[in-house]
Order: sequence, then C-alpha cells, then structure tokens
Amino acid sequence: MESPDKEKKILILATDSCAYPGADSVGQAHSSYPANTYILRVRAPVMFPEQFYLDCFKKGISGIIIMSCGEECPYEGAYKALATRIDAVYQLMKKQDLDIRRLRLTAICTVCNRAFLKEVNLMNDLVQEIGLPEMD
Amino acid sequence: MSDPKEKKNENSVNRSEKIGVYVCYCGGNISDHVDVEKVRDAAEKMPGVVVARTNSFMCSDLGQDLITQDLKDGLIDRVVVASCAPSLHESTFRGAITRANGNPYIYDHANIREHVSWIMHGEKATFKAEKLVGAAVGKAGLLEKLDPIQVNSRKHVTVIGGGIAGLKAALSAADFGLNVVLIEKTPFLGGNAAMLDKIAPFGEKASDLISQLAKSVLEHKNITVKTHCRLVGFDGYIGKFDLSVKTVFTDPSDHEQHPGHFVPFEGVETDTVVEEIIETGAVILATGFKSYRPDHGEYGFGKHKEVITLPDLIKQVGKVEGSSTLELDGRKIRSIAMIHCVGSRQIPGIHKEDENGYLNEYCSRTCCSSVLFMANKIREQFPDTNIYDFYRDIRTYGRGQEDLYDKASENRVVFFRFDATESPQVIPSSDSDYPLQVTVKDGLTFNEEIEVPVDLVVLATGMEAGDISDIVSMMKLPVGTDKFLQEVHPKLAPVEMAVSGVFLAGTCQAPMTIGEACNGAAAAAAKAASLLGKGLVELDPYVAEVDTALCDGTGACVDACLADGALAMVDGKALVTPALCLGCGACVAVCPSRAIDLKGWSLKQYEAMVDMIVAE
Amino acid sequence: MADSQTITCDALVIGGGIAGLQTALDLADQDYSVVIIEKDISIGGKMIRLSKVFPTLDCSSCITTPKMSSAAHHKNITIRTYCDLKSLTSDNGQVSAHVTQNPRYVDEDKCIGCRKCEYVCPVYTDDLEQGGFSATKAIRIPFSTATPQVAALATKECMLCGKCEKVCPTNAIDYFQKAVDFRVEAKTAILATGFEQTPIEGKPQYGNGNVDNVITSLQMERLLAPHGPYNRVLRPSDGMEPDSIAFIQCAGSRDKSMGIPYCSRFCCMYAIKQAMLLSGSLPLADIYIYYMDIRAFGKGYEQFYQTAKAMGIQFIKGKVARVDAGENGGAAVHFEAQDGGGVTTENHDLVVLSLGVLPDWNPKGICPVSTGSDHFIQTVQPSIAPTITDKTGIFVAGAAAGPKDIVDSISEAGAAAMEAANYMNALGR
Repeated sequence: MESPDKEKKILILATDSCAYPGADSVGQAHSSYPANTYILRVRAPVMFPEQFYLDCFKKGISGIIIMSCGEECPYEGAYKALATRIDAVYQLMKKQDLDIRRLRLTAICTVCNRAFLKEVNLMNDLVQEIGLPEMD
Repeated sequence: MSDPKEKKNENSVNRSEKIGVYVCYCGGNISDHVDVEKVRDAAEKMPGVVVARTNSFMCSDLGQDLITQDLKDGLIDRVVVASCAPSLHESTFRGAITRANGNPYIYDHANIREHVSWIMHGEKATFKAEKLVGAAVGKAGLLEKLDPIQVNSRKHVTVIGGGIAGLKAALSAADFGLNVVLIEKTPFLGGNAAMLDKIAPFGEKASDLISQLAKSVLEHKNITVKTHCRLVGFDGYIGKFDLSVKTVFTDPSDHEQHPGHFVPFEGVETDTVVEEIIETGAVILATGFKSYRPDHGEYGFGKHKEVITLPDLIKQVGKVEGSSTLELDGRKIRSIAMIHCVGSRQIPGIHKEDENGYLNEYCSRTCCSSVLFMANKIREQFPDTNIYDFYRDIRTYGRGQEDLYDKASENRVVFFRFDATESPQVIPSSDSDYPLQVTVKDGLTFNEEIEVPVDLVVLATGMEAGDISDIVSMMKLPVGTDKFLQEVHPKLAPVEMAVSGVFLAGTCQAPMTIGEACNGAAAAAAKAASLLGKGLVELDPYVAEVDTALCDGTGACVDACLADGALAMVDGKALVTPALCLGCGACVAVCPSRAIDLKGWSLKQYEAMVDMIVAE
Repeated sequence: MADSQTITCDALVIGGGIAGLQTALDLADQDYSVVIIEKDISIGGKMIRLSKVFPTLDCSSCITTPKMSSAAHHKNITIRTYCDLKSLTSDNGQVSAHVTQNPRYVDEDKCIGCRKCEYVCPVYTDDLEQGGFSATKAIRIPFSTATPQVAALATKECMLCGKCEKVCPTNAIDYFQKAVDFRVEAKTAILATGFEQTPIEGKPQYGNGNVDNVITSLQMERLLAPHGPYNRVLRPSDGMEPDSIAFIQCAGSRDKSMGIPYCSRFCCMYAIKQAMLLSGSLPLADIYIYYMDIRAFGKGYEQFYQTAKAMGIQFIKGKVARVDAGENGGAAVHFEAQDGGGVTTENHDLVVLSLGVLPDWNPKGICPVSTGSDHFIQTVQPSIAPTITDKTGIFVAGAAAGPKDIVDSISEAGAAAMEAANYMNALGR
C-alpha cells in the first residue's frame, strides 16, 4: 500500500438526492473502488464558489468529481448555473497551469452503479498518472 | 477586506469543543474491515472531541443510550455517529438526541459502511474511515442548533375557477375544515362540463353532477363563492398570500338610475365593481381549458355550414327529443362523418401552426371516448343515421371506455384509419343527394381511397390551455411547451407548482376526464390540507442566512437566487425570506464578501471537512 | 400461532406500492395515524422494480426510494410487510382487519440488514427480482433499496444448514418463527392493492412462455435497469446482444379470448419507453413495435411517441397472431400486415410481450366491496369521486380500481387520502 500521507485524494461532491444514495448503492453491491475517494454529501453543488475548488487543489486534493443530479436536479436552474461556474473554474485552472481534467462534472443517479465506478476509476487513473497538484 | 470585518468573521466562528464521536462495529460489517478501535483512538485526538466511544450496534437501544447519556451529562454538545448510510439511521440518531432534549441538528454522520467497509478492507479502510470521521468532526464543530422555520399560516384556501375541478377542490378543502373562497369570472358554476350532456363512458348526466357539487358548495358554511370575480393582484408567500380580486355586481335597474361615471384609467363604470383583498394560505388553480376552435377551412370548417364541432353536436342532439330520426336545422341527417384529432396530435411540418407559431402536439385524451359515446347514442336513438368514424388511433384507455369502442362496432359505426400525413378531405359531394363528402386513404383496407358522402361532418376538437396569461404573469407560474400549467414533477409533486403553496386542479394542467380532474382536485385539496391544517407551516431550516455586518450590498446573491422573491435588497443589505428559500446555496457561491451562507450545510463547514481530509 | 395483538390507528392502507405509499403519506402529513399492510417483504410495489419511467425518463428507483423512506421514517406511519389480509370489515365508522404476518425466519427488530447470512448461504435460487435471469440465495434481502432492510428466508429452498444462524451478528435468524396474527382497528381503510401482469402462460398463441427469448415486459425492465442481472441488455438464452427486438402490444389486453376485453392503459407507453432505452444501449439494433392503436394519451405522452418515431423505432400496425421459435434462437412473429401483404412472418432475436394488467387482489370472502365485470374494485361515483367504493368507509386508489399509470395512480392516491380524511372528519362530528 502506498503510504497514506502521499495519497492522491479524490474529493467527490455528491448530491443528497441522487449521487450520494448512488454511492450507497455501490457499497451495497460490494463493488470495490479506490480508497482515496472522499464523498461529501451536498444539497446542490451550485453553492461552491470558484475559489472553493482552487482551494481544494491548493490544500492537496488531486481530483474533484462533482456528482450532480444532472437534468433531474430538484432546484430548477441550478444545474445550468453550476455548468457555467465549472467553465469559469476551468478558465482559472488553466491560468494556474492546473490540468483541468482534475475537475469533472457528472450526473449520477441513485442506482447508477456502473457510471459511478467508471467516473471514480477514470479519475483515479488520471491522478495516479499526473500526481498531486502543484500550486503556489 | 477591512479590519473590523475580518475580526467579525473570526468571531463568528464558534467551534464546539464538546464533540462526542460514536463509532459502530455493525456487528462485524464495519469491524471486519475497519479497525474500529483505532478509528476511535484517532477520533479522540481530533480537535474539539471530548469523548469517543464504540458499540457493536450504535443503532440499538444500548448504542443510542451512550449518546443520550453523554448529552444529559452535559459532557457533549455535538454528536458524530460513524456507521451505515445516513439514509438508514440519520432519523434514528436525531431522534435519540431529541429524546435527550438536544437539538437534532447538532449531529453529523460519517458513512463508514457503504462508503468504506463494504468496498475495501485493511489498513486503507481504517485510514479512510478515520478521514471520514475527521471530516464529520470538522463539520460538527461548526454545526449550530437549528429550528424548523415556522410560518403561521391561515387556515384558508382560495380556489380560482368554478368548473368541476374548482368545485371539487373547494368542497374537499372545506370538508376538511379549511375556509374557502371560490372565485369564478363568469356568472356560472360548472365550467366546460356544463356544455356536456352525458359523460362518457358511464353516462351520468353532466347537469346532475354539476348541480350536486354546486349545491354542496353553495350550502357549505366554510365556502364563500364569488362569481363575476377576477384575480387582479397576487402577493405574499406560502401560508400568507394576499389576493386582490375585483367583483362585478350587476343590477340592470341601477343603469337607469345612475348613468355611469368615469373612473380614471378604467373607463365609465356601469356596474358596481368592488375590489378587495382575500387573505389566504394557499391557492388552488382550477382555471380549466378552452375548446379548440378550428381554423377557417380546416376540414371545411367555416366554409360549409354542415361542418360543426363535437361540442356543437352534443348541444344540438341534446335538444332533439322524442323522435327516432335525426333532424338538425330542419335537415334530415342520414349520415355523419366524425373526424378525430382536430387540433390535437399536430405534427411539425405536417400541420399548420397558429398565428403565434404554436402547434398542439399533445393528445386531448377525452375526445375518442366522447366521439364513440356520441356515435353510440346516435346509432341507438336514431338507427337510420349512419356514422363514419375517421381516426388515427382509438384511445379508449380508461375503465369502461374500451366497451364504447366494442359497442360502436356492434352498432355498425364504420371506421376508417388515416395517417397524419394524409388527413381526410372534406369537399362538396359529387353525389348531388349529399352536401359533402369525405375522402380518405383508409389504413384499414390497405390504403384504399374511399369517398363517403355525408350530411354532416363533426370535428372532434381537442382541449387547449385556457387564456390565463394575466394570472400566469401575476403569479409567475411556470407554463409547459403545451401552454398548460406545469407541475413541479409529474410523479414527485404532480399537483404542486414551483411557487410553494400554489396547487393545480383539473384541466388547467393537461387534458383530462372529469374523473381525473376530480382526482387532481381532491389531491390538490389534500396537499393544502396537509399544509394548512395545523395553522403552522413547518419548513426545512436549511435556508440561506445573511451576516449583515459582512454584507456589502452588491446584490450578486439576489441575481443568482433561483427562487423568485427569496432574496431582496433592503436598505442596502441582502434579506432572505426563509419561507421562499429553496436552500440550494446558489447565492453562497457568488457573494464577494462571504456574507451569505447556508444554515446546516455551510461553505465554512465544507472547508473544515476538506481541511480534515487533507490533514496529515 | 403467537398471541394476537391489536394495532389501533386512524387509517389502514392495504398495499405499500406507489399508490398506497402516497395515500399513507398524504394522510400522515395531515396528522392521521396510518398503518400500511404489504404482502411482499418490501414496500415499493411494481414501481421500485422498474428501470426508468415515462415520459420524463427519470430513474424509477430515484423517485420511489424517497417516498419509501419518508413512509418508513414517518412518525405517523407504521408499516407491516409480508402480511396477508384475512378479513376487512367496515361498520358504523369502525374498520376492523385481521392480518397474518408470515414468518420470514428473521427477527425484524434484530436484523441490521448486513447481509452476512446472504453471503454465507450455499443455496442458489432464481432471483425473481431480476426477472429470474440471475441467482440469489435462499436467505436474502430482496433488492438493494428494499424497505425494510431485513432479510427473509425462503423455506422452500433452504436446506437448514445453519450457516446463516452462525454468522448472524445479532442472532436474528429464527428457524422456529411462526406466523403472527394481529388485528388493526381503524376508522377507515384504503385499498391500494395494485395489479399483476397477465400470465405469460395464458396465451398459447404466444408460446405459453416456452419459446426461448420471448420475455415479459417486466423482465425487460430488469434487463434495462442500471443494476439489472447482466448490467446490459443480452438475450437470456445465449447471452447474445440482440440486433432485432420486437414488442408485441395488447399481449393480454383487448383480447376477449383471454377474458380481458379492456385496455391495460400503460403498455403502449412502457413499450415505447423500453424501445427508446434499448436504442440508447444498443444503437445498432432494429426495434419494432407491433400494435393496434398507440394510446399515448397523458401529459407529454404523444410527444414522447413522436420522438420515438423520429428515433427510428418502427411501429407496425397489426395484431400478432402467433409467436413461435424462429431462426438462430430467435422468435418468429406471425402477423397480418396492414399493407395488404397478408400474413407475414418476421424473425427477431428477442421478443417482448407487453402483457396486460389484472387486479392483484380479489376481495371476495375478505372484504365486502364489489368488483366490476373487469374484476377491479368497483367505484360508485366514477366521475366526481372516483375513490369511493360501495362500502362506506372503504376507499380505493391506483390500479386496484382499474389499470392506471404512475402519474394517475399518484394523483388518485392523493384524492383517496382526501376522501378518507373527510370521511373521518365527518365521523368526528
């Protein structure tokens, strides 16, 4: 096992109504996925400002997956606002020479086990390959 | 940022130093893969944690007792439970805290079963469990006691529209004990249903149903009916709406005695107009539909007097009494063509848009049964009158409806099936004995071209959304692409509008039968009853909160807000109306001075969680 | 039998499917105490077993689970699963029910849903929750979102090896558990007993279920579900990815030869939905729907149908006469073509029978409510109060009173809750 202090951590912001129970469903199926994943339950990821994502990378988070409800978002208009925000974050990431693949916006439903595993594995492959983020 | 603000910001962070952490073995489900005692040891050293305990089943009475005892002893004031998915036992632990006279919101949950022990094992699992417990501790330290938002509500509902759905909704709500005002713009109760004779498929008389409902409504002590009355203003929020209505009182004798006087911005007043405010708690919209009016020339409508609509036919046949031959306008009707889907199921590129570029792409749901019901009635009452039915699909979906279709075949109604791309043509008949003929490529006989001479063509016109653009803009109601009012979600919230406290009943939502409209109306009344029955509306405490000391009054939050009216600038500061806030946090992201945050799910808490996850 | 127990409440809801849950939630939100009796080992009914739902294509589980969970956690709702209703009467404002709770051989209060028993159980059996396409164990939690999360032991399959008892961390396994009789005393009852599909065995012309790769529409739901048996759409006999899939409409509806003259109301829409989902997961497959009339009557349904047509799903007007074994493990569909071609035969890799709808419960001898000629619960004011039965104090909601889609069932459930509440209010006065 890799020593935990060098762990390349993936933060997952999972919506309370879709993706978080989706992650529970993966657990119930006992599907294994990388351990370096930290799932935080959120009401709507639209609440996070651009700086939150940059701060996370600065603090040493290697990848962030936003698992939203997508078009099934219970807050009308939130998904669109979120997508716009993420575009803005990408611009800021480029300015700071951060690989924008470290941040991904997805939609995961309550029983989307395969989609969940795919996203997590893809992000893990990426962060293992490109390593910890380097920021000033 | 200026100094005083910075100071204030630091002061506002009151971290709890009395956090209790309770880690569950889950009888091996967790402890087989995670070293639970090691997690406990780690938790005990985390900032703010005063006690960390383990139990084989934290959800058991014994496990819960650990928490309640520590709370009662004053040892802790924040609780973190690390166990299974929060969906399973979050309410259990909140309940335990409440039993110990604690506030249920001082609790956070670490999911170390579904997210840890069931997907991995060994050192990695223990390490991850520690991190997740750490994140929960980080959040718990910043949790505040919250109380559900309570809005005193009026035990009063206003129903807009006095058709069948409006009557049913008013009666249901009033029987429950709510006070009801029903407003109707015309002098009549009964709406579109009053145009009907008997109702398909079971044949109840529309007049009986309407009279029965209207009598109960008019005699009900909890209901005030206002006819000639329109909504002219809308204000307030769930539990406390103020509706401005104008009621017209007509007294013809009045006209002679008082020649009208000029009212500024209105005109000369001939009737007495009274404007008043209805103080209400919820609104049920039951504004109904309007019948599709065919375009001039559509299937010969307007060009040939022998082309009429189904509602016209119902009205005219209803007047014929005691004869076994059908005569309308002094003409003997030997054969009738009935054409389905007129103004419904229109297809872009095939059908012509209306003047506003709209097509009615939806099915009007009720016309098939209505046509067949009339066809059977005519065949049975006037056996010499032949019926030719031109359809695309026969949609007798509901209980008793397929029987109408079977019966029509028994009654020797002749069916022709046409494709939307090749609609039947209605033209003057080549047979001088008949005024009109219908030509069709019949899909039932291998697309044979058939000419049917007829005395009368009946167009089964569909339903269109009623013209309520004034109400829509006043109340800011969402409207679908079909122009009917749009519910929040067809299954999760089928009679609820996005404006909380406003409900939908009947055909203002979509075409439906009387039975379906009454179900919708009663369901809407049920929601209003749940909402207002207690005289108190309890809402989630997870709403935005402004720190006015930090607010610079940029208004960015107001622009970002997804709920109309939840945020406003008052005296240069942002002000939240909790009853309207959705708790999505869209405002939190855009505040340049971090003056607004979401109660219970704050940005600060997330930052603390991330800090704990990355902590060495 | 164990000692009889009596539960007192305001309203008794028979059936914990979507209609029953919605009725119970609406009543409980009005502060009435509610007991739900469910015959299955989990609440959720047919809806929780579906993949996605028309016309929004929302994931079905995502919409049902929150309602199941709200009901399970609601302070005014008590849920009893795995129950048989023995009798239900309503007299003078008093509803009485006799219920038998079947033994699941697992103590509900002790079980923590850890599934250790399931993992250790050596007996594999067809998983009917997955359409019989995959295996489950003799002791198991039926499916991931089952509520309650309590295991149940199927005695027919169990070989009494005792492994589950040894591994259970809470000593919840009880091989000697007995059925428990209890009574419910309430003021009103709502029947939300739902529907079942017509048996595939009921139609000799369609092979009585004996033709390979001729499956039911509920089985297709499982193939399409995100957590289905194969995690993708394969045909069951040989695991081949089907290139040609056909749906046969009215396979058990509008068919007097089967004694089911009525329309089952939602088969057109679910077939179109399944066809759309299939064309998503198998973009190269040809998909056919054999139909008599497409009944896309609800809000947004016609537009859904037109979208399916635009996607290239082929709608073939014609009543299918016969289905039998076809080439290469497929099924041959014989139908009368409407273009004048006479009886035509088409071979498809996979054929889905859009089976009809039957009532799931017959009140005869249990509850004095009448049924119609279609055997669904009779209602006495179908236009202005469609949830009122001919027995005072007993109401009906959802497919128990005739085939009904989810949207209409939920709306009717709300109406039943209102009628029942007002009936209780009137009693109070």
